[in-house]
Amino acid sequence: MFAPSSDIFRKYTDGETFAKIRGYGTVAEMWKHCADEYGGRTAVEDNGSVYSYEQLDRDVAAFRGLLAGEGMIGILVENSYDFVKVFLAAATAGRPAVIMPPQLPAEAVLGITAGFGLKALAVSPALSAKTAPAAERIPGIKIVSSADSGEPVPAADVKPGAPCAVMFTGGTTGKSKAAILSNEAVMQGTVNGCYGYRDVFFQRYLLVLPFSHVFGLIRNLMTSLYTGSALFICRDNKNMFRDIAVFRPTVMVMVPALAEMALTLSRKFGRNMLGPDLKYIICGAAAVPPYLIGEYAKECISLFPGYGLTESANLVSGNPECATKPESVGIPYPGQELKLENGELWIRGKNIMTGYAGGIPSFTEDGWFRTGDLARFDEEGFLYITGRIKEIIVLPNGENVSPAEVEAHFSALDCVQDCELYEDTSDNGTRILVLEVLPRMTELGKIPEAERGAYLTGKINEVNATLPGYQRFSRLIIRDADFPRSPSMKILRHARAL
Amino acid sequence: MTRTEIKDKLKEILLMTDADSRLLEGELDESKELIADYGFSSVGMLYTVIGIEEMFGIRFENVGMSDFKTLGDVVDYIEKALR
Repeated sequence: MFAPSSDIFRKYTDGETFAKIRGYGTVAEMWKHCADEYGGRTAVEDNGSVYSYEQLDRDVAAFRGLLAGEGMIGILVENSYDFVKVFLAAATAGRPAVIMPPQLPAEAVLGITAGFGLKALAVSPALSAKTAPAAERIPGIKIVSSADSGEPVPAADVKPGAPCAVMFTGGTTGKSKAAILSNEAVMQGTVNGCYGYRDVFFQRYLLVLPFSHVFGLIRNLMTSLYTGSALFICRDNKNMFRDIAVFRPTVMVMVPALAEMALTLSRKFGRNMLGPDLKYIICGAAAVPPYLIGEYAKECISLFPGYGLTESANLVSGNPECATKPESVGIPYPGQELKLENGELWIRGKNIMTGYAGGIPSFTEDGWFRTGDLARFDEEGFLYITGRIKEIIVLPNGENVSPAEVEAHFSALDCVQDCELYEDTSDNGTRILVLEVLPRMTELGKIPEAERGAYLTGKINEVNATLPGYQRFSRLIIRDADFPRSPSMKILRHARAL
Repeated sequence: MTRTEIKDKLKEILLMTDADSRLLEGELDESKELIADYGFSSVGMLYTVIGIEEMFGIRFENVGMSDFKTLGDVVDYIEKALR
């Protein structure tokens, strides 16, 4: 069993900064500290307006005035200053908030409202039509506009174990589940975002991820506020580079597909599209190709791959600055215990949810959360994710093949953007491994067109030959178009008929 | 800029995206649909919008790629914006 301490991260920043990274039991406690400590500093920039910590605190107190009562509330607000205000108001009022993705249809809003027994819905003017069925059919439901405010009321006395946020998982397999995160879990996730790099406080974050995803809510919003940083809300990703040119962020939290896009466009147009001040890219929610780390390092930007889950309030581990292990998802953060059971990563600790909503079994008898991810640790305590249990291919000879582990070898090639290994049946009925590859055209394009196919297959076959026999593919498919993907840009793995 | 020149530059952008590369050989077919034929994902759309704005120095004001059905519609928009 591995129970990391924060001391592991001490060497990555100066003593004064490290001493400032302290835990809070609740969001209310953290927010009081932020409002007192950071007062006139910019907290949020959104839609042409700038909001200081003082002003945000006043607006949060005023919105709390609309949240009198008890029970869970739903938040249906797009990425905006109002979302920040509403979320903090709910958290500091002791009202657990179900964070609804803004793209939900009205019927789903009704279903969640009824299913969770929500007492109130905070909705933005732009999304208010989606609450109409709930308003009509659920007696006593209170609908509050995120643009309104009431008489300021003080924060409630919230306990660390009290639920804070309910977040929907969005895995590539299975139905979405709702994870209940306590105040303590949200705060541990928030603080974990401060470890492993030099410049922690008073940064400039630019938000491109949805607040309805833990990576956007906790690592982006909450860590930004915790560190007295300014958060610029990019409302439309098509304006991302324009917003970057104006705001000049120092930190961005991204999925790999966006980081790859920014790199490709930077190379294409001969300038750093992420702006001159960017120091750190926190990258996760999908496997991060080592290629990206190397290419960003050439631009003097540190890209840190990490690992996290909705159920763990986002962050389980992250690569520290000067990481020399790009295949790893980094060092586990403090406040949790980790162990491997038959290769599967099990976690328990402050950052882990209190359970799934709806009574779905969530833990082992002794309180461990089974991640479903296959993992290993190296001798220095770095964590590696080698696959998903559900995706394991059991070959006719009994050998187990983890697709992610094999794919990592091919993804390390510069000319491979993404790939998927799966089992299929050959023409003569034999079960075989198939590798589908999406080429990285920015690299492959450097090769004369007539030679690209041979070059790519040659490189891939070279790697294949280095693998143990049972891990080698028998059929290679080079894709002309991207893989089908989930909203968080993970490959949607298909169950292929055998 | 002629329509052919616009299409040549547009092709450079599409080559960076996840568009079906078989449709990018030879001259671009304006009648092909962005989603049904080229198979653009949301990130592919994003690449294209940003790439067009950078490459042509124009802006998509109050319009997104989802408002365009075919590649010809995109070329029309660029042509008008450049006038």
